[in-house]
Amino acid sequence: MKDRQRILAVICALGMLISLAGCGGSGTEKNPKEEARSASTEEAGGKHLNFSCYQYSNSIDPITNVNASWCGLRYGVTECLFRFNEKVEVETAICDSYETEDFQTWILHIRDGVQFSNGNRVTPTVVKESLDRLYQAEADKTGNSTPSQYVTFDSIEADDAAGTVTLVCTGVTVNLPGILAYPWYAVVDTSVIDTQVIGTGPYYVTNVEENSTMDFAKNPYYWDGEVPYDTYRAFLTTDDQGSMKAMALQSGDVDLVENIVTASDLEAFKEDPAYYVSTTAGVRLGNTYFNYHGVLENEALRQAIQYAVDDETMCNVTVAGLYTAGCSVLPSSLPYGYEKLKDPFVYQVEKAKEVLDAAGIVDADGDGFRELHGDKIHLNYLAYSSRNLDDFAQAVAISLEAIGIQCTVTVQDYDTALANQSKGNFDLITSNATVVPTGDPTGFLGNFYSGNSDTYGYYANAQYDAAYEELLTATDKERQQELILTLQQILIDDAATLVHGYYNSTMVSAVDRVTGADIAPIDYYWITTNIAPVQ
Amino acid sequence: MENFRQFVKEYPAFTIFLVLALGVVAVAVFAPVIAPQDPYEAILANAVQPPGREHWFGTDKMGRDLFSRVLYGTRTSLAASLALVAIVMAVGTLLGLLAGYFGGLVDGVIMRLSDMMISFPGMVLAIAVAGILGANMTNAVIALSLVSWSKYARLSRSLALKIKSRDYMAAARLTGSKTSHILWSYLLPNALPTMLVTGATDIGSMMLEIAGLSFLGFGAQAPTAEWGLMLNEGRAYMTAAPWLMVFPGLAIFMTVVVFNLLGDSLRDVLDPRCSK
Repeated sequence: MKDRQRILAVICALGMLISLAGCGGSGTEKNPKEEARSASTEEAGGKHLNFSCYQYSNSIDPITNVNASWCGLRYGVTECLFRFNEKVEVETAICDSYETEDFQTWILHIRDGVQFSNGNRVTPTVVKESLDRLYQAEADKTGNSTPSQYVTFDSIEADDAAGTVTLVCTGVTVNLPGILAYPWYAVVDTSVIDTQVIGTGPYYVTNVEENSTMDFAKNPYYWDGEVPYDTYRAFLTTDDQGSMKAMALQSGDVDLVENIVTASDLEAFKEDPAYYVSTTAGVRLGNTYFNYHGVLENEALRQAIQYAVDDETMCNVTVAGLYTAGCSVLPSSLPYGYEKLKDPFVYQVEKAKEVLDAAGIVDADGDGFRELHGDKIHLNYLAYSSRNLDDFAQAVAISLEAIGIQCTVTVQDYDTALANQSKGNFDLITSNATVVPTGDPTGFLGNFYSGNSDTYGYYANAQYDAAYEELLTATDKERQQELILTLQQILIDDAATLVHGYYNSTMVSAVDRVTGADIAPIDYYWITTNIAPVQ
Repeated sequence: MENFRQFVKEYPAFTIFLVLALGVVAVAVFAPVIAPQDPYEAILANAVQPPGREHWFGTDKMGRDLFSRVLYGTRTSLAASLALVAIVMAVGTLLGLLAGYFGGLVDGVIMRLSDMMISFPGMVLAIAVAGILGANMTNAVIALSLVSWSKYARLSRSLALKIKSRDYMAAARLTGSKTSHILWSYLLPNALPTMLVTGATDIGSMMLEIAGLSFLGFGAQAPTAEWGLMLNEGRAYMTAAPWLMVFPGLAIFMTVVVFNLLGDSLRDVLDPRCSK
């Protein structure tokens, strides 16, 4: 009887093992749908790309929200009237020429022969309808995009005979081409928008499995050269800190990935000749805002923090080169005179202590932490985990502890951190933002203008405000450059914000399968016609 | 001494696992003496060093000595697990005994509350509670307590129902003993061995749940030396620096095994039916 029970137990255990083994996968197996798709592509002699990227949105409709509009451009589905080149300079795209006399009325000529991926022609009327739809969605709140943030128009007129669209801005808008290159202003075919988002990019969407994959096919009517792939599939992941994308590339499941976020994975790819790593000093600033409505109003304390933090080590070791260290809010890779700036707060721990001692910020009660006016300093440092910001926060807290300043890091989800930032519930808060979203830093520099700075720690400086107000109306390029340089230096001298560095965007591809996979400095563009299969 | 030898001879497994468990406790207590370096002292330039003579387990991404952090992690994980088990055992046992002894409305209310708690997936509810309360170790213990007490309540209730029908309980009532005296002197001592065995067996699983919450970001927060959090911090370096996950993982594995086997062998000691 006992033997029978034992045999039964062994059989049950084996059964369970086999069932569990069945749950696993070899990693290289394809599901039936995948096999069918690959087979059909190969039968047709087609070229196919597998791409893995972070999932920012299931939508690519520019009216939906910021992320959706960016996805449209990144997936190569939509395009704007203008676009940015690798130097973040504005170039013409669907609009092939323009003229303006007063920077308020702009006449844009729409390029002849541009067609949507469904074959419909892009005419001035279509462009007008696309812009009207964008602003209408903002007005009636059917979309979350806010195009009026950058520009509003008194009128938009289309002249199909002349092939022009005339835009009359509400005020002087010097940088209209740059603004119109922002993904919100992507041109879509409004005649079919109720069923599908159709753009003029090299690819169009054929299938969406929400939060999983998106399939794309070649736009047969593409206006700007040959489209290299017949189809491509984007594998979407929400793993913003792990190695999922890296492992997918290493296993051969995908040919191309954007932005490897793990320093160790990036190092491994750089050392392996089987992969091509494209890195560019991006236009994203990683920094920490100080709250001036708190203990950090004290200038000596802010200066000591600047002295105490070793940004070079943090960028090169802690996040292993995912950022390039710098001192200004505008990246060194952009043409805003970074090399002319002077940073008085180069890393010196002893100097940090001296500054604190001289300001009377000392440890009087002997608990290891300094006090300001008799009250112990205990900084509330908020961080969110995007783009290694929590690593920076921890490293800064460690650095501050070394000079006797107590600091507690709280890592929150992005929305909670932003809500606390808006309410001013922080002493320090991390941030990672594109500083030239429209190819112009004016908007970002406005974060430190006293009229706008409530959300960014209440910084205020009359000299800064005056220079910023002049920048808003300056039309002379040289004067603009001077003012931008002045604004940067004021922020450095005031120790206004703790700059960590500039995020290096990356794109990694398998060299035996993909060529031309270079990442653009401004991260609106991922899949372009430069990315092609290896012949 | 003779009794001790007799005990060891009679319960060798319990003795071995008790010694190992005491070893874990000793590591927690004497961590400041054993640890070669300050677990919170960071040298940013020394980040992610492989295991070597200077750093036996290597260093983490902030350049802290991993061996010292793993040792200090024993303090955090053990203290939290013991506190958690103590809370759920005390609360669950008390509520279960009251429900079983008094029956009626008291039983109905307590057991329906218990039913409500077990109708949710435990870990998901714990994540929700920890998320609402805020992420820290205390709140993680509170969250897990809220979802774990019902098991003890149900067990002690069934024990109370069984004990209530015994002759000595009827005799106690007939001789006019107070309810509190009956509960304290008759009900609790008879239920306690089973509850203790259950509690001891649960230390390991509670340790895993606390580590799980910390791994997910709902428990210990950086820079605390806690095994679950250390696993999470090492996750990004899984392929390039596997020691960041291996050593905290091994610490969790060994401690959980020791306490699980200690719980099992404790049953042999306390349960008369299992005694030889």
